[in-house]
Amino acid sequence: MAQMNATAKGGTARRKPGNNIWFRLRQQWMLQVFALMGVAFMILFSYIPMVGIVLAFNNFKPKLGLAGFFTSPWVGFKWFREFLFDSQFWPIFRNTIVLSLLKLAFSFPVPILFALTLNEMRMLKIKRVIQTVSYLPHFISWVIVHGILVSFLNSSNGVINTALKQLGLIDKSLPFLSSPDYFWGVAVISDIWKEMGWWAIIFLAAIAGVDVTMYEAAIVDGASRMQRILHITLPAIRPTIMVVLIMSLGNLLGGGLGGSNFEQAYLLGNSSNYAKSEVLQAYTLRVGLENGRFSYAAAVSLMQSLISVFLVVTSNFVSIKLTDSGLF
Amino acid sequence: MSDSILKRKNKIRRTSEDNIISVIIFIVMMLVFILTVYPFYYCFILSFNEGINASIGGIYFWPRKFTLENYEQVFSNKQLVPAFGVSIMRTIVGTLLSVTFTGMVAFAVSHKYLIGRTLYTNMMIVAMYFGGGMIPYFILIKNLGLYNTFWVYIIPALFSIWNCILMMNFFRSIPDALEESARIDGANDLVIFFRIIVPVSMPIIATIMLFNGVGHWNDWYTTAFYTRNKELRTASFILKELISKANLTSITGADNTATAARAADAAAQNFTAESLRMATMIVVVIPIICVYPFLQKYFVKGVMVGSIKG
Repeated sequence: MAQMNATAKGGTARRKPGNNIWFRLRQQWMLQVFALMGVAFMILFSYIPMVGIVLAFNNFKPKLGLAGFFTSPWVGFKWFREFLFDSQFWPIFRNTIVLSLLKLAFSFPVPILFALTLNEMRMLKIKRVIQTVSYLPHFISWVIVHGILVSFLNSSNGVINTALKQLGLIDKSLPFLSSPDYFWGVAVISDIWKEMGWWAIIFLAAIAGVDVTMYEAAIVDGASRMQRILHITLPAIRPTIMVVLIMSLGNLLGGGLGGSNFEQAYLLGNSSNYAKSEVLQAYTLRVGLENGRFSYAAAVSLMQSLISVFLVVTSNFVSIKLTDSGLF
Repeated sequence: MSDSILKRKNKIRRTSEDNIISVIIFIVMMLVFILTVYPFYYCFILSFNEGINASIGGIYFWPRKFTLENYEQVFSNKQLVPAFGVSIMRTIVGTLLSVTFTGMVAFAVSHKYLIGRTLYTNMMIVAMYFGGGMIPYFILIKNLGLYNTFWVYIIPALFSIWNCILMMNFFRSIPDALEESARIDGANDLVIFFRIIVPVSMPIIATIMLFNGVGHWNDWYTTAFYTRNKELRTASFILKELISKANLTSITGADNTATAARAADAAAQNFTAESLRMATMIVVVIPIICVYPFLQKYFVKGVMVGSIKG
């Protein structure tokens, strides 16, 4: 009877509630198999590593295998103390924070400015070409960007140094890639270059959604073009700006929107600019995977994660209080 | 009367202020265009110039001594050719499997009547915001026996939560009737997914294939840390090594021009490490440049859905 009433779509009729769930499971067994493939994947590749965080508190022995997450000898906060009192702690921590804040200050607003400017462009064909071109660097890996930076900035025949010399502005090459003084600048500018066009997509779409009659009314009221941008467009895209701001705060220590801190430090960093280029993630990788100090590296990585979680939760809370919009 | 005054006033206002702003905007945008395109163009012309000749510098707009030798070298290089093979293999296999796997999960979880749907969705959200970091992950890869195999490129990338959410959002917008009519005709979920859902979801599938393919093509990290064998090297990884080496030589103070010339002289060749690097960079970048503009209208939509609803 229940079977007869149940529709093919999992049975919405509830004549016999006791049997119903089994019947529905039988009806949708194939969908359940699909969903459970994803669940199995997540348990394996996301949840087991999450549990593996405990190795930050023990002395992990690689030969014990995955069970070693729990059976290795417990050491408490030993690794955290070791890192906090390490002479490298302060420079690495400072580099991570400063680079992240610099990227928040520059890489975050530039796409908004770019979107506002591009939106004001009247020549539609050129506008479309520029927009298409502006996405390109996003799809290019940091390896290629590093290659471009090397050929433009190197001190023997780099394009920038050669051009500056020919113009007579400098007489000795500037060591852009090998001096710690230039690393932060190079990192922030290359980050903007790579991700500006990509993140402008979201803002451009938000701008496209602004009601045209508002601009018409503003023109009738005699608002100038700058006034229209400042008093109509900008307030209209404020919710979008807030969402993107929270997203970039969430990954602040990873390098904001583009999440470029690690790759920049690992690829652009070298022995001569190490003092300003090393960040937490790259350090984790170097001591963990290259030197095999798994537990110590896991502790460093956990510290970064805790700071990140704190930042997301706080910024989301503040955003909900201030603007009624948040991520979760 | 007043109407016509308003119009005229309006027109005058527009021409004076507008023109200045338009000109400024045009100049700024041209600068953006040049700053974005020129680095690629520079690598492009250098890759077509004789290496020795290029090392004295001064090439800005077109090749001075045109040659195809750099590319001949790249395509006959004993390291690079197999590496391109590995890159192409992993990009094709990895992308197809990942889109299929992620798509099937997304298809299942997009059904409102799926038992346990809330649990599955919550598991995804938690896994998206929290992770174990790279150390437990590395230990996992080693213990699963994926370390130093080709499958380390494919299996851990099979499922992407972010792409799954993008696809779920798209699948939910497909009318139920489409699926229902197929079910009445006796199709099972597998058939429905491949014959009904995939064909009507091409926009989102194209977007995700682009993201996925570019990710596979650009990835050097997996090769660097999860493999050891030379046969598993990808083009991106070799390029990364070439560039790091170049950066290091320029830092250690060795004069690029002189060493390059000397090295090339010794071997009686016209190409240098730099010209070879440029040609490799172009070969790695060209597929991306050729593909992404065609998928633009799709990924612009895809990014929007993900970022606003995500």
